[in-house]
Order: sequence, then structure tokens, then C-alpha cells
Amino acid sequence: MIMTRSPTSFLKEEYQELVKNAFDWKLRELETGSKPHSIVDGKEVMMLCSNNYLNLSNHPKLIQGAIDAAKKYGAGSGSVRAIAGTMDIHMEVERRLAKFKGTESSLVYQTGFAANSGLIPQLVGKEDVIISDELNHGSIIDGVRLTKASRAVYKHCDMGDLENVLADADKKYRRILIITDGVFSMDGDIAPMDEVLNLAQEVGAMTYVDDAHGEGVIGPDGRGIGAHFGIEGQIDIEMGTFSKAYGVVGGLVAGSQDLVNFAFNKSRTWLLSGSHPPAVAGAQLAAINVLETEPEHVKRLWDNTKYFKKELNAMGFDTGNSQTPITPVIVGESSVAKELSNHLFTEGVFALPIVFPMVARDKARIRTMMNAGLTKEDLDFALEKFERLGKQLEIV
Amino acid sequence: MKKRIGFLVNPVAGMGGRVGLKGTDGVVDRAKKLGAHSIAPAKAEEMLHFFNEIHKTDENIQWVTCQGIMGEQALNHAHQKHIATVYKPKDSTTADDTKKACQELMKQGIDLIVFCGGDGTARDIFEIVKNSVPLLGIPSGVKMHSAVFGITSRATAKMLHEFLQGTLTVGDADIMDLDEDLYRKGEWNIRLFGIAQGIIEPTYVQVGKTTFESVSEQGIKDELAEHIEDEMNDHPDMLFLLGSGGTIEYIAQKIGVEHTLLGIDAVFQKKTIQKDVNEQAILSLLKKYQKVKLILSPIGAQGFILGRGNLQLSPEIISAIGIDNIIIVSTPGKLAATPYLRVDTGDEQLDKTFADKGFFLVVVGYRFSKVQKVQTNNF
Repeated sequence: MIMTRSPTSFLKEEYQELVKNAFDWKLRELETGSKPHSIVDGKEVMMLCSNNYLNLSNHPKLIQGAIDAAKKYGAGSGSVRAIAGTMDIHMEVERRLAKFKGTESSLVYQTGFAANSGLIPQLVGKEDVIISDELNHGSIIDGVRLTKASRAVYKHCDMGDLENVLADADKKYRRILIITDGVFSMDGDIAPMDEVLNLAQEVGAMTYVDDAHGEGVIGPDGRGIGAHFGIEGQIDIEMGTFSKAYGVVGGLVAGSQDLVNFAFNKSRTWLLSGSHPPAVAGAQLAAINVLETEPEHVKRLWDNTKYFKKELNAMGFDTGNSQTPITPVIVGESSVAKELSNHLFTEGVFALPIVFPMVARDKARIRTMMNAGLTKEDLDFALEKFERLGKQLEIV
Repeated sequence: MKKRIGFLVNPVAGMGGRVGLKGTDGVVDRAKKLGAHSIAPAKAEEMLHFFNEIHKTDENIQWVTCQGIMGEQALNHAHQKHIATVYKPKDSTTADDTKKACQELMKQGIDLIVFCGGDGTARDIFEIVKNSVPLLGIPSGVKMHSAVFGITSRATAKMLHEFLQGTLTVGDADIMDLDEDLYRKGEWNIRLFGIAQGIIEPTYVQVGKTTFESVSEQGIKDELAEHIEDEMNDHPDMLFLLGSGGTIEYIAQKIGVEHTLLGIDAVFQKKTIQKDVNEQAILSLLKKYQKVKLILSPIGAQGFILGRGNLQLSPEIISAIGIDNIIIVSTPGKLAATPYLRVDTGDEQLDKTFADKGFFLVVVGYRFSKVQKVQTNNF
């Protein structure tokens, strides 16, 4: 029998299908660093969609920290953490991070993705259940798909629903793991972590928070969601990232020493990937130093956030339930959101549209991310455009 | 590419309602004597005007309809351009006209039938069309329990728009109507007549932090079948009572057990031991089997799990089985369309038990469940 299988034709076919449906990712190229004003696809724009909340990517101390570490330790770490890739600088980051966040210990992963997909599958099995907020599938999908645990979902931030699910789960399963985003990345609202913790404690459920958008943003000095609610060290697994406000890269998990001992022995992503280049660890350390000694960055981030939101609302824009620097400008139909985003880019403001199915059909939005590196003039520049274009497109 | 849309207005739909009749089938003259006016044609036009506002073009639609008041008139009033007629009704229309019109529509290769009427009209269309073409109803009848209707004419217009855009998809939609046998005995009960295809919210699964993949209805139902089969394998000493509806029908087929679409079946060790059981039969089975689970799915536009068309599940039986032994399965699309699970057992005390529990964890995928609140009539 002659086989007529083409080994790679599906590569082109599936890509073209995505393009046809406009589901493909279009990459934009930055010619500069990720600065408040960058050159994107050859055009100078003001960045309103970067996760570099505190502009620490460009902070001289972080840059120097990276350079010094590279000079001392070299370009790469030479190995995985478990074998010969754990340098004293890696351990120093973990010690300082735990102290900063108020937990017993912490563990650094290559990325946030690696943290979730490496740790979650180790925490639960077939006899267990993962309970998650309906909106935060993103934070657990990567890890959950690798587990055999049952899954249950409760309505977004609905503590009544969560209580019901827990009561049901209590009777059926061995272990219960509650996972929620700390700051929800589409609406910018904060999970009621203190209430989640209370409910969890009633049935002995584990609490796991993916605080990627909360690290360096919420809590005193940006110490994160545990500090924000005054429950440092009580959330069983506080997961976060160095890739956003901290301005570097890397995933982090903070909690008890028991958690960390378990995690680094069992997470395959941790065990089987090369550890961070020394420059990364040097920058991570510098970021922690900056947050501990320079409160002005977090303060400016929030001042900018309050101002921007206030002005937008005064113009008549709907910013939804945002409680953080993630400020969605809800415009309605997907096509309107895309149009507004294109106009804004043409006029030098870079902010991405978020459309169905990422958000509800009639709640497409421009998701703006505030930044400590923006001046009041910058914000007014952007606000003028939002107002004018908003009127033009009949949003306000 | 143009979509071919069938368009059918039932001019007598809804006329019974204003004058207190239980429907309009067969009683048009009586309705007229009581002063009823034709309302469906205006409703149809209203929907089309909303549609024009939302969709803004008719270049991608080829309408296939009936002459005069059964469709062409409304389309003309709404300035639709591409209209083809395939049927000419008599001056005074009946259910027969609806059915004949559908037969003609079916010969035309259409993508969707938009109709204006109620459950009676939906049933007539379903009789001819079955589940070969999706149906979308402009709500204009006396009874609208079937899951093919938009909530309002504006909502229907929006659904048509989204369907043409490709952001809504096609899935099971229950056709419900008054159980005439019971009605003749003096009882009012709405029951399931069959499973048509309707326009539904597609299910998207996040496969990465910002990437979504749409999962087909069938994909979800396969997962549900796997889940139920696991339950059966894990509990070989348990009797499973399978409720009615399209989802459970699919599950039964996938597992390989016989099932009655509109009835309750008893399954033990993955074999159907009794088909289409009535109350007495269930009571006998409950005496014989210590462990029982009842598998139900939300039925109709209002998401009833008990009280619509499954009267065999009497209050005595539900109490004997126990509320904790009820497994609810549903596709996410169905849950999205019915924000509450509705219960009407006929027994106030039993209803209160459901109201007190307040919620069910509905199985919406393989070992994946979602909280859905429960609503009873009186609590």
C-alpha cells in the first residue's frame, strides 16, 4: 500500500486557517527597550500595553546588576539547578524574595508558565479536585491539563458559589486545591483572597494564587497579594513572576519551606531546564533592592492609575471593575475596539484591543496598562486621543 | 459567500394568547371571534428592522421564503433585496401550510430557517425538517418553551447577525410543547417533542494564557459520555436512571446502551434493563436496587431539570432517590442559555429541599463541573 501522507503540509494549512479567521498573532517589533516611549514597527509610540509596570526594565540599578553578575559569573549558568546550575546568586534571590514577601521560603522557576505547569501537576491527582474562578483558566490550564484531578469552576469572585463548591468537594475528594488569579488580567480586579482563605481553612483546602499581575504592584511596596490583604505567609502557594513589574524574567513560588522542598524535588520544569543566566539573577536581586528602598516607583504607578482612570471616567468611558493599573476601556463591539486601537497606534499610542472570545461579545475593550515611567504630560497626550477618537467612533 | 436563509412567518401564531386560549392551533376562528388580531407579521418585521440596524448589509444573504403574508411581505417591508419565493399559501393559513412550505424550503438547500411563531409553529417545522437545518425563532407565539427562540425580536436579530458572522454556532435545541394527552385529561404539562438544531453559544476552551480554541458540541458530549461511563465502571453495583433529552441520548449511544429520547431508562452494569419506565416501574426498581443515581439534563428554553415532561419522576421517587444522587450533565452552551436550573416537582416541600440546596455542580466536561444555581417556582 502506497502511503500518501505529507509530513508537514499541516503546518501551512493550520497557519493559513488561523490567518483566514484573523486568529493569528501578528508580532510587532520593538527597536528599543521596553520603555514608556518605544519604537514599534518603526514608529515611535507611547506604550500603554506593557507589563513593565514600574519601568524597572530600564532602571540603571537593574542594568548594572545584570552587568556585574555577568562579569562575575559568566553568560550562562552551565546547568540545571539540580545538578550544577545553582549559583549562590540564585539562592540569594530566593532568600531575599521570601523576606520581601513575608514568607518562610521561595523558589524561582525559569518562567511563570514553568512554575504553574511544573508545580500544579505535582499537587493533585485522580482523587483530588481543583476548584478555580471561572475567569482564570489561563493560570491553571497549563498545569491542570497535566493532572488527573477533577475540576470545578465557580462564578467570577463569587464567594457564595465557592462555598457551595467546597461543601460538595469536602465530601468527595482527598485533596482540594483552590486556584485563583490574584489580579485578573482582563478586568484588572482583585480576587477577595482573604475570603477565599477563610473558606479554604474551613475544609482544609490548599490555596494557590497566581499573582503575576500583582507582584510589584499591589501590597505595600508592591509585596504582592498576601501583603495586600495582610495575610502574608498564610496563602499556601503564592505564585508570581519577575517578568512584569519586576522588569526581568522568571517565575516565583513563595510559601513554607515544606512547599519549597516539595516543589524543587518534584517540579519537572524546574529540574529539567537550565537555570537563569547570572545576569538575570543579578537583575532580579537589584529589582528586589529597588522595591525595598525606592517606594516612589510603586507610588507613581498608582498615582498615574488613579489620574488616568478618573479622567477616562469623566469623559464617559466605562473602565469596568478595574482596581489596579490594568485599566480596560470598554467600547462594546469587537470591530470598534480594533478600530480604536488602530487609530491610537497611528497617532502614537500603543494599546491592544481585547475582543471575543477573550472577553464577552459586547464588552470588547482597549486594555491599557499604567506605567510608573509615564509623566502627566504623557497621560494627557493619551487622554486627548481617547476623548477625540472616542467621540469620533461614538463610544462617548 | 452568501448564506441561504429560509424565512417563514406563521400569521396566526400568538393569536390565542391575548384572548386566553392555550395556543392557536385549530382554534383560529374562535380566537378571531374573541377579537384576536394577527400579530406575528408585525413581530417579524420588527426583527428585520433590528437586523438591518445591526447587520447593516444584506449582500451576503439569499432569502428563501413564501409569498405574501407568510414571509415575502415582511422581507419587502424591511427592504431586503435577495428574495426568492418557493410556496404560495392559501388566504387563511394553517399548520399544513407551514409544513408544505418547509418541504419546499428543504428542496432549496438552506443554511438556516428563521421563523416567526411559537412552540406550535416550531413543532410543525420540526416535523418536516427534524435536525437537518438549524432553526431560529422570532418569539411570537402563545407558548415558547422550545429552545430555538431569541428572548426578544431584537435578541433574535442579534443572533442572526452573529450566526452570519460565524461567532455563534449550531447545537441541540429542545422542541417543547403542550402534552395534549394530559391536557385532555385536564392536566397542563409541557414536554419534550424532539431535538432540533438551534443557534447556540460556542464553547471556547483556553489553551494558553490568551489563546482560545473552540470545542465542538460533539467534543463536549464525548467528554460527558466518558465521564458517565467512568461512573458506571466505578460503581458496578449501582442502578442508573437516565433522563430524557439530546445530551443524555448522545451519552447513552456513545456508551452503547439503549435509550428513549423522550423517556426514562434504567441501566445496570452498562446494559439497559428497562426502557421508558413509568412511575410504578421505577418504584419497583428502587425496592430492588440499594444504590441509585439519576442522570438529568436541563430541558427546553428555561432549563427545567424536573417538572417538564418527566412526570414519571414523582415527588415520591425523587425523595426516595435523594437529591444528592442526582447527576446533572449539560453542554456549556446549554448552561449559558439557561442561567438557572429550574425545578417544579409538584410538591412544595420537595421543591423547598432543592431551593435550600440552592445549586448543583453540573458536569460540563470530563471530570469538570460548574456551579449552577437552582430556582423553583415558589422559592
